[in-house]
Amino acid sequence: MLTSNYLIHLAGNVSEEVTLYNNTFLLCSEKAVLWKSEGVLLISDLHLGKVNHFRRSGIAVPHNPNDQNIERLITLLQEVQPDRVLFMGDLFHSHYNTEWEVFGQVLKCFPAISFELVMGNHDIMSDYQYQKHQLVMHKKPLEMGAFIMSHEPLEGVPEGCYNFAGHIHPGVHLRGKGRQGIKLPCFYFGKNQALLPAFGEFTGLYKIKPKVGDQVFVIVDGKVIKV
Amino acid sequence: MTDPGNLTLAHNWFKQKGWKSFAFQEEAWEAYLRGYHGLVNAPTGSGKTYSLVIPILLEYLRERQSEVTSPRKRDLGLRAIWITPIKALAKEIGNSTQRAVDGLDIDWHVKLRTGDTSSAEREKMKKNPPEFMITTPESLQLMLAQKGYEKFFKNLRTVVCDEWHELMGSKRGVQMELALSRLKTICPKLKVWGISATIGNMDEALQALLGSSLKKKKYKVIKSDIRKFIEVESVLPDTVEKLPWAGHLGTNLIDKVIPIIQKSKSTLIFTNTRSFAEIWYQKLLDRSPDLAGIMAMHHGSISRELRDWVEDALHNEQLRAVVCTSSLDLGVDFRPVETIIQIGSPKGVARFMQRAGRSGHQPGALSKIYFVPTHSLELIEAAALRDAIANGIVEDRVPYLRSFDVLIQYLVTLAVSDGFKPDEIFSEVKGTFCYSSITQDEWSWLLNFISTGGAALTAYDEYRKVEIEEGFYKVTNRRIAMRHRLSIGTIVSDSSLQVKYVSGKYIGTIEEWFIARLNPGDVFWFAGRNLELVRIKDMVVQVRNTKKKAKAVPSWQGGRMPLSSQMSVVLRKKLHEITLKNFDHDIELRFLKPLMDLQKERSHLPTKNEFLIEYFKSTEGYHVLMYPFEGRAVHEGMAALLAHRISKITPITFSIAMNDYGFELLSDQEIPLYEALETDVLSADNLWQDIQASINSVEMARRRFRDIAAISGLVFKGYPGHQVKDRHLQSSSQLFFDVFNDYESHNLLLLQAYEEVMEFQLEEARMRNALLRINKQKFIVTEPDKPTPFAFPIMVDRLREKLSSEKLEDRVKRMQLQFD
Repeated sequence: MLTSNYLIHLAGNVSEEVTLYNNTFLLCSEKAVLWKSEGVLLISDLHLGKVNHFRRSGIAVPHNPNDQNIERLITLLQEVQPDRVLFMGDLFHSHYNTEWEVFGQVLKCFPAISFELVMGNHDIMSDYQYQKHQLVMHKKPLEMGAFIMSHEPLEGVPEGCYNFAGHIHPGVHLRGKGRQGIKLPCFYFGKNQALLPAFGEFTGLYKIKPKVGDQVFVIVDGKVIKV
Repeated sequence: MTDPGNLTLAHNWFKQKGWKSFAFQEEAWEAYLRGYHGLVNAPTGSGKTYSLVIPILLEYLRERQSEVTSPRKRDLGLRAIWITPIKALAKEIGNSTQRAVDGLDIDWHVKLRTGDTSSAEREKMKKNPPEFMITTPESLQLMLAQKGYEKFFKNLRTVVCDEWHELMGSKRGVQMELALSRLKTICPKLKVWGISATIGNMDEALQALLGSSLKKKKYKVIKSDIRKFIEVESVLPDTVEKLPWAGHLGTNLIDKVIPIIQKSKSTLIFTNTRSFAEIWYQKLLDRSPDLAGIMAMHHGSISRELRDWVEDALHNEQLRAVVCTSSLDLGVDFRPVETIIQIGSPKGVARFMQRAGRSGHQPGALSKIYFVPTHSLELIEAAALRDAIANGIVEDRVPYLRSFDVLIQYLVTLAVSDGFKPDEIFSEVKGTFCYSSITQDEWSWLLNFISTGGAALTAYDEYRKVEIEEGFYKVTNRRIAMRHRLSIGTIVSDSSLQVKYVSGKYIGTIEEWFIARLNPGDVFWFAGRNLELVRIKDMVVQVRNTKKKAKAVPSWQGGRMPLSSQMSVVLRKKLHEITLKNFDHDIELRFLKPLMDLQKERSHLPTKNEFLIEYFKSTEGYHVLMYPFEGRAVHEGMAALLAHRISKITPITFSIAMNDYGFELLSDQEIPLYEALETDVLSADNLWQDIQASINSVEMARRRFRDIAAISGLVFKGYPGHQVKDRHLQSSSQLFFDVFNDYESHNLLLLQAYEEVMEFQLEEARMRNALLRINKQKFIVTEPDKPTPFAFPIMVDRLREKLSSEKLEDRVKRMQLQFD
C-alpha cells in the first residue's frame, strides 16, 4: 500500500514523499507534513513557551529555541502557503506566558490560512486564549476522509483508516562506524499509523523501535532521508 | 612544654581503659589545643578518631574551667562537626565519641544527622543543637540552606573532615571546601582538621582542606608512624595451564578459596563490582552449602537495613564470610575479621592496602590478604602490588577544579537561606583550592546565570530564581527554595531505581539501564536472592521471590576502574624484571614463566626500553596490538587517536578493543602499520586537536553533563520517595546539553563537561606522558602466527561486548583449545 517516491526539492531543502490511500504526503525537513491535494499542513508538538515555563521556575534555558521555533514556522508557512494548518496537539507547553502573544502575532500575518488545533495533553490554557488568536479547536480526534488526526496515537485504528499522530516525539538511533551513534528525529509510517516528529526545539526524542515493513525517515542537516 | 589543656585527664582515661596513646595522637592533641588547623595522616584502625575527639572535648573543659561562673548548661550550641563521607561510618564514630564524652564526664550530646534522620529529629536539632554532630557533606549543605544558619553555627569551634582522601576526589569534597569557606567567616574561632589515609598528593589534600587558611601558616600535618605490615599471598592453581588466559570472574579457583574461608574465623571477600559480588556469593553457596546462614553479602545497592545487619553481625562474630565491594572499603572497624581475600586486580595500590587493612585491626598487627587472579597476567599485578606496598607507592587523588555546577548549587543554597552579598562570597570562594583561579568574568557569569538565567535582562523575561534585593541575592519563591533543598543530595545518586517487594519492603537499588533490558516475569539475581520482576512503577522496581533460576545478574557500570598510573609504573617494572635472567624472587612471576616463555616464543617479551607491537592476520581480519600498560582509559583514547591518524594515511575502518595492558585495532583490510610508524602516529604533537577529532568528545561530554545538570539544578528528578509533581518541568540533561551546545557555547557548565572528559575520562595528561615515554622506547614489531598471551585477553574483551558472560566462558574455553 505504501510507496515512497523519489526525492523532490522544496524550499531549498530535500524532502520525501509518501503515498497513502492515493493521497500524497510531503515530508518537510522543517518537521512538518504537507497533505498535497488538500493543502493541509500538519505540525505536531511545538511546545511553544516551554523555555519560558522553565525559566519562570528558575531553570536557566537560553531563549534561542523560542526564536528558532518561530522563525522556522514563519519560513515554512511562507514557502508552503497551505490553506489550513493543523496543529496536532501540544502547541503550547503549559500555562500561559508571553510567548503565546509572540505566536499570536505570527498568526495574524497569515490571515488567509485557517489555523486549527487538535488538543493535546499539554494544551491546558483556557479556551479564551485559543479563541483570542482565532484558532479552530478540535477537542476530539479529527476525521478527514480515511485519515484520523489525533494528538496521542489511537489504540486500535478502525479498519480502512489511517491515523496521523504526534505526542511521541519519535526518534531513532543510527549507528555509525567506530561505535559512534546518533539519535535523530524521524517520521514514522506504520501499517495504519504515522507518527510526526516534534516540531519544537528543546522537546527531546523518544526512541522508537520500528517493525519490519515500517518506513522511517530521519531529519538530518536540513534533509529528510529514508532509512 | 606546658600542658595546653587537661591532657592528664585524657591520659587517665586512656590508662583506665588500658590503652596507651600513640605519639601522633599526643601530637594532634597538643596542636589542636594550641589552636592549629591541620591534617592527621593515619591509616584506618590506628586510633585516628581519638586523635581529634579528645582535644575537642578537652578544649571545652578548658573553657569551662576558665570561666568564673559556669555557663548555663544548654547555652553551648553546636561546638563540633564531624564530617564522614559515608553514613555507615557515622554510627561507629558516634559510639567512640560517646565513650569519650562519658569517660571524661562531659555534659555533651553526640548526635548523628544524615539523610536518614527524620525531619522531626532535624527540627529538634535546629532548635536545640547537639554539641557534637556527626554528619555528611550533603547534610551540612542543607544546614546552610536553613534560615538563620549564622546563628546556628556561631559557637562552632571545629569541623573535622574524616576520610578526607575519599572526599577530596569527588564533588562532595568541593561541597566541603565551599561550606568551610563560609564557616570560617561566620565562626572566627573555627579550626579545620582533616583525617586522611596516605595518598600520593598529600600537599594537594592539605591545600584543598585548608584553602585560604594555609596562608596564615598556623597549621600542622601530623603523620602517624604506625606501619601496617601487609602480606600478599596469591592463590595459585596447581599448574599455570589451569588459569585462563582471559577471564574476569576467577571462580575456577573457588575450590582453593573455600579452605581459606574455612580456616579463618571471619573473612571478607572483596570483588571489584557488585555483579561479581553477586556471582561469587551464589557460587560459594553452591559449592559450599554449609556457608548458608553464616555468609552474607554487602554492596552499595543493598538496602541500608540489610547492610547494617551485616555490619552488626560482623561485629558480633556471627558471620564467617562476607562477599563485598568497595562498600566495605572504608572506615568501620571490624575487629573480628581475620582474613581478606581480593578477587581480581584491585587496579590501585591504595585500594588494595585499604582492603588488606580491614584485617589485623590492632595497630602493628600483620594484615594478610589473599589475591585471587581471574586470569594469568593478573598475577603480575600481584607481584607489582607487593612491590608498591614495600616501596610505599600510593596513588594521587585528583581533586576537582573549577566545578561550576557545585558552585551554582552552593550560591543558590546561600540565596535560599539568608541571602548573600556577592563581594563577600566572591573572596571566600576565591580562597578555596577548587576555585582559586576563578575570574571576575566567570563570577559575573555565574551570578547572571542564577539571577537572570544567563540572558540579557529583557522586559518580557520571566526568569525567576535568585532575586536581588538591596544588594542581597535571595530566593523568595518558596517552591523554588523547596525544589533546591530537595536537590542538594543529588551529588551522590545516579539514575537508579529502588527495588522493592510488591508488599513494599525495600531491598536495594539497581541501575536503570540494567532493569530496562528485562521484561516482567524475568528472573534476576540480586542481593543474594532470585527475584522475579513484577512491574516497574514510579521509579520503583517491584519484585517477588521465586524459585525459578535467574537468567541475569545485574551489573553496575561504576565498577570498571582503570589501572591507576602508579600501578602501571610498578607493573611495567615487574614486566621488565621478567625479561631479566634471575627474576625469581616473586612466586607469581616464577609461576608464570611457562606463559612468558610462550609469549617470547610467539612474539617478544619487551624490556623497559622496548615497546611491543604485534601485527597479524586471522579469520577476523588484520590485528594491530600495542602494549603501553597504562590502563584502559588511556588505551581507549590512544586507540582512537591511532585509528584516526592511520585513517589519514588511507581510508580504513577499525574496531577497537582494550584492557589495562594494551589495545587492539582490528580491520577487515590490511593496516599500513609500518608506514604509520614511520610517520610518527604515536607522537604527542597536536594531541589535543587529534583527540578532539578522533573521539566523539561531544558524546562523552554529553554523558558527563548528566551529573552537572543535576547538581546545578537544571534537571530535577525528585528525591528518593518524592515524585516529581510538576510534570511540565520534566526534562533530561540531554536536552539542556543540546540547547547549550547549539546556542550558548560559552556556558560554563557546558565547558566544564568537556574539561571533565579530558581530565577524568581520557586522562589527557597521562596519555601525553605515555606517548612521550613510548617515543623514547625502541619499537619492536612482531608478526606472530597465533595470538599471544598478551593479545588474547584483549581480543576476548572485544567479544565480551556482544556476548553474555556465561556464553563467553564457553567461547573462551573453545578459543584457548584452538591456540594450544
